[in-house]
Amino acid sequence: MGRVNLQRMKVYWPLYAMAIPGILFLIIFKYIPLAGSVIAFKDYSVFKGFIDSPWVGFKYFHKLFDYPDFVRVFGNTLLLGLLRIVLVFPIPVLLALMINEIRKSALKKGVQTALYIPHFLSWVIVSGIVFDIFSLSGLFNIVLGWFGHEPILAMQDSAYFRPVYVLTSIWRDAGWGTVVYMAAISAIDPQLYESAMMDGASRFKQIRHITFPLLLPTVLVLFLLEIGNFLDLGFDQVFNLLTPMTYSVGDILDTYVYRTGIEQAQYSFATAVGLFQSIIGFILVYIFNRLSKKVSDGGVW
Amino acid sequence: MAINKIGVLALTGALAAAVFTGCSSNNSDNSSASSPPAPGQSVAPKSEEVVDLEVWNGNNGFKPITKDSPLYNFYKEKLGVGVIQPYVEWNGGTNYLNQLNIKIAANEMPDLFLPLQGIEDNLAKNGAIADLTDLLPKYAPNVMQAIPQEVWDVVKANDPTGQGKIYYIPSVLNYGRETGLIRKDWLDKLGLEMPKTQDDYVKVLEAFRDKDPNGNGIKDEIPTGGREQAAWMDQLFAMYGVAMVEGKPDWDIYDGKLTYSAVTPNMKAALEFAAKLYKEGLMDKESLLNNKAKWEGKIDSNLVGNYFHWEESVNERLENINKNKGVKGDYSVLPILEVPGYKGFYTLKKMQTPAWVVKNTKDQTKLMATLKLLNNMYDKNNWNDLYLGVEGMHYTMQDGKATKLPDDKSTQQNLALSPYLNVATADFSINLYKNNTPDDRKWAVDQGIRNITDAQPYFKDIAGDGMPASVYEDYADINNRTLYVEYASKIILGQYPISKFDEFVDKWNKSGGEEVTQRARDWYAKVHK
Amino acid sequence: MLKTRGEKTFVAAITTLLLLFSFIAIVPLLSVISISFSSKSAVVQNLVSIWPKQFTLDSWSYILDRPDLWKSFFLTLGSTVIGTALALLITALLAYPLSKVEFRWGGVIMVGVVIAMIFKAPIIPYFLTVRGIGLYNNPLVLILPHILNPFNLIIMRSFFKEFPKELEEAAFLEGSGYFRMLFQFVLPLSKAVLATLALFYAVVIWNQFQTPLLFLQNTDWFPLQMKIRQFITDDNIIMPGAASTVDLNYNERTLRSATVIFAMIPIIAVYPFLQRYFVKGAMIGSIKG
Repeated sequence: MGRVNLQRMKVYWPLYAMAIPGILFLIIFKYIPLAGSVIAFKDYSVFKGFIDSPWVGFKYFHKLFDYPDFVRVFGNTLLLGLLRIVLVFPIPVLLALMINEIRKSALKKGVQTALYIPHFLSWVIVSGIVFDIFSLSGLFNIVLGWFGHEPILAMQDSAYFRPVYVLTSIWRDAGWGTVVYMAAISAIDPQLYESAMMDGASRFKQIRHITFPLLLPTVLVLFLLEIGNFLDLGFDQVFNLLTPMTYSVGDILDTYVYRTGIEQAQYSFATAVGLFQSIIGFILVYIFNRLSKKVSDGGVW
Repeated sequence: MAINKIGVLALTGALAAAVFTGCSSNNSDNSSASSPPAPGQSVAPKSEEVVDLEVWNGNNGFKPITKDSPLYNFYKEKLGVGVIQPYVEWNGGTNYLNQLNIKIAANEMPDLFLPLQGIEDNLAKNGAIADLTDLLPKYAPNVMQAIPQEVWDVVKANDPTGQGKIYYIPSVLNYGRETGLIRKDWLDKLGLEMPKTQDDYVKVLEAFRDKDPNGNGIKDEIPTGGREQAAWMDQLFAMYGVAMVEGKPDWDIYDGKLTYSAVTPNMKAALEFAAKLYKEGLMDKESLLNNKAKWEGKIDSNLVGNYFHWEESVNERLENINKNKGVKGDYSVLPILEVPGYKGFYTLKKMQTPAWVVKNTKDQTKLMATLKLLNNMYDKNNWNDLYLGVEGMHYTMQDGKATKLPDDKSTQQNLALSPYLNVATADFSINLYKNNTPDDRKWAVDQGIRNITDAQPYFKDIAGDGMPASVYEDYADINNRTLYVEYASKIILGQYPISKFDEFVDKWNKSGGEEVTQRARDWYAKVHK
Repeated sequence: MLKTRGEKTFVAAITTLLLLFSFIAIVPLLSVISISFSSKSAVVQNLVSIWPKQFTLDSWSYILDRPDLWKSFFLTLGSTVIGTALALLITALLAYPLSKVEFRWGGVIMVGVVIAMIFKAPIIPYFLTVRGIGLYNNPLVLILPHILNPFNLIIMRSFFKEFPKELEEAAFLEGSGYFRMLFQFVLPLSKAVLATLALFYAVVIWNQFQTPLLFLQNTDWFPLQMKIRQFITDDNIIMPGAASTVDLNYNERTLRSATVIFAMIPIIAVYPFLQRYFVKGAMIGSIKG
């Protein structure tokens, strides 16, 4: 037995050696700070420190669930999260498949670069642009004017918040999202296409039977990573697009915890809410990981 | 595999414990870190020895104060103490507060700093900041003198330990600073009188809307308006006697009791009025979407008849209107308008938020240096110099007269010590305007000076003046008025009928408003016993 | 290549659609660019849309003349190059064993990586830990916290898992060890994913401001985004008797626009260079060659 292990180590030790720097990094920069999450169960005070702050059990989780508008905030978070998964997540896959059909190399690169540019505008800038577009003198109302329609101030109308959220998500990040897929497509063996063409398969069939199936493992992995942040919608985006008139549809966990926890330096509460989001995210990843293992050979672990 | 898992976990835990225990001993002051005086050596500072202090407060992007830099030397020479100030991003106060908290958690609290969001309460309760009750009169008499006794009484009443001690130095405002401002030149052009009653006011706004006072032939005038979060439109609320600071409802006596103005019938009436103005196009359609830049841009484009802001700084808008459109306008103070059944006023809070707290330290040298700095800083003879800053960096001499240079974040260091802002008096402001204005700007700046005098009769010092932020503890959404802003905005826009106001009052009370009101009334009783 | 008319229409339709999308993606950027070249007066009066109005270079000369901007620019450039290279190395070193079934710790570590990705450390423990290893007010903090990202690690691992087994087996028969395998066979044939992750890491390091905000007090070490924030913080304090800003031709908004463009250009310029690694069949082609 011992000899077998020794034998194993003789062959496999480099794998373990390689892993060490990364593991050390994870311990130092992720796990040790994460241990500080105990403050979610304590009344953390910067004066008393982590050890001496008193335990309060689930006080801050109760505070979250007892918040009078908890149902509204949690419901908005779930709905926007769902919209993201259903409407935003698939777009980069479609875009990548489309871009892949362009044959002219220069045009292909040009399109890719153009689509990827908006990602570099921060949400403060993007929301500034969005507010301009929807202002009285903005593009939206100019177009409405062409059709003889009265101007609409969409940013103060709760009916428009969700569409604006989805569209801005796509506008800013869909092009950026294609990068991984383009890399995955480039790894596909061209011989597959050659033999498909010999068999007379059309372009559309090639996409359906070669490109898409071979892209699917990558899509699955990214889907699992995305679902882990299901309740974590990107504070900056929502915060910058939100107005008091759209609270009823746009106030989410992140904006709530910002104004009640972070802005007021309530670290225990902010940590408790973060923990709540993360645990739900982890459960979702766990479930979908098992599902994806059943369906295909994929899965993250 | 299991053993490895446990091993990793154990290692993580041990390391985590090492990190956190190493930093959690915050109660003991780490005077050992700063080198203790050698035996026999005097603890008291020698007069020629300059002590360096770390001082934190707001910085809007100017350069930090590093050792031996020009501003450091200037403060050292003027005030006898070395002032060091790192660059701490302000970002509406959020980043500042977080970095301050992090520094406290790391046991590296600055020696003298501006507290925010009522953290001075926790600081005092934990013995982290110095009890100044005896220290200030003894070592910094100028501070005691600069601030009126009745304000100190409130500070003592606000002591969270309940012992009536002074834990912070408040900032004080001795004159009313924010009013409604109206285009007097438009009134004159249209042959209208300055409005006295609400009806007059509505007629004026209608004339602004319909009669093209800016004379460009387009009906693009915006009679009145404000900014997002129902802020900076206080002129519409003031006539109903709603206590309000820059759109934030405040506390005053209603029905004989200290009450949050947002839940009073006065507020209901004011919101109804605002909704009416909005509906009739007398208020900017984008009032609740305007940020600072957008709203000021509209004013600067010669479009806005009436807005709410600092009465003394109308010159900023007027000079920009002149540049953009070549019109020399006139923004005069809008009087408090008469509304039957209401007694209106513009809100004044003499006692503003805390300006400074002092670190509680066993290091006598540092403590004495901090008090020396405070004493010299609050010496009014130094104010003009502190205002001007460093010659060549913040101001230049022209014909023997000091002229401030325009703000330049690439060259100027942060003028961190500005007591004249912390103890603001009308006289000092007026003098600054008079002494620092070149002739070609006088037409605009003088209007601000005039407005200061004109506005004062309309101000009322509200009963909630001096109330500490700690009454809101555990009720963040009451503190940042989330519920109020949502209902007020929707009522003004007509998305909610005015009857929804009662639902708001009910919700507000249930979500912590009752408790906060009780605390506020307890505080009031304590101060006015 | 294209055989039928139907296919030609198909490709033409896709191309048109993508060109339209590209246009929509770029137009708002044009407004940012034109604001940076417009005068304060035009911007304040809301006159600027797609083309600059009252054209001026004042905003640009204000930011480009600041010596601290250039210092910060090169500091950011340096930390991005070094940080990205280091990050790729560390990520590959961990991703490779994780892609191997014979690596016994794989399962546990992957769960650990996913946890590290989903759970976010509270700010104060994070600060104290990083300060504890001596990175407070230390420029290395611009690099070290970014050298491994769980998300990127998982992506690299899933690419490694797709790596053709036959190829590795052949190399093993020749007597190569794991290190040689990784560096001589696997990495050279994984250029597409390396390019992708290089981009991901570079963008994070280039655009970072949260980390320096927490850990750097010395403004000399401020990376570009922090420096820019310092330039354009909006001034809300009114100073009696302050000098007039009326004659300045820039304001917070024009400066912000100029700095946004300035900070974007280098990172956008990198992309076309990385794109050549995405060419179809790059991997297979090089195996044959």
